[in-house]
Amino acid sequence: MQLQDKYRIALLSAYALSLHGFEALLPTPIPWLKLGLANIITLVALMLYGFKTAMTVTLIRVILASIFTGTFLGPSFMLSLGGGVSSTAAMGLAWAVSRHFFGPVGLSLIGALFHNAAQLALAYLVFIQRIEAIMIISPVIILIGAVTGLMNGVVGGLLIKNLSRE
Amino acid sequence: MKTIIRSTTCADRLLFLLLVLASCAGIFISREAVSQSSDVLIEVNGKAAYTFPLTTDRLVTVDGPCGPTVVEIRERKVHVREASCPNRLCLKEGWISKGVIVCLPNRIVVTVGGGSAGSPRGVDAVTG
Repeated sequence: MQLQDKYRIALLSAYALSLHGFEALLPTPIPWLKLGLANIITLVALMLYGFKTAMTVTLIRVILASIFTGTFLGPSFMLSLGGGVSSTAAMGLAWAVSRHFFGPVGLSLIGALFHNAAQLALAYLVFIQRIEAIMIISPVIILIGAVTGLMNGVVGGLLIKNLSRE
Repeated sequence: MKTIIRSTTCADRLLFLLLVLASCAGIFISREAVSQSSDVLIEVNGKAAYTFPLTTDRLVTVDGPCGPTVVEIRERKVHVREASCPNRLCLKEGWISKGVIVCLPNRIVVTVGGGSAGSPRGVDAVTG
């Protein structure tokens, strides 16, 4: 790994971490509703610097954020880790398979979908184990995820355009 | 706004439409599927007297301290059709598909949804 890559990962992780922290401070109408702002950084890392950088940044962000908020290895850490890893993996796969099929918005939507799907699956397997509760809540979560994923994708797309222009 | 829309690919827009449509359909489908399993529970004097599925239409006469109360189930909704209590607040509740109708003088409680009498009622889950 080049020195430049290390700097890049450190910088992107710092951005992702601060967005993650900022998002936790934002008041939302429903307690578990999150905007997924840190996914913007994952998206930018993936599209500009490749899958390895994106996954490293996601792992650093999830682990450090949980250590800072005191939930390391707790239930919310497991949900956060599962969601982050699966969404990054899904976005990386979609990006690798069809490089010019999906733009940033499409990748962000895929990321949001897989993030939510992984969290719902984890929540069902580990915590709730009541299929009707998951069935009721999952379409709502996926709908909200589509809207926030769209916003993140638009912001990420603008960011990528501006970064690659320089 | 226009440049943002133009910057998305066809696949992006298709994916977004698909997600929104699928989740909207999912909301309705899951609501249907769950409301099918909900029951109507009629309690008299704090004791469970009858349990009926919400899906079958029927007319039930329940006897309380003030006299008979007629509860009707029709088209997945419940109401109190006739009551012999003095103030008839239970009649004014109208048709409900979820929740509770209470007749205090006659000591009758009609509960729709919320599972059977023994299941816990409250928050399902909160995640961080």
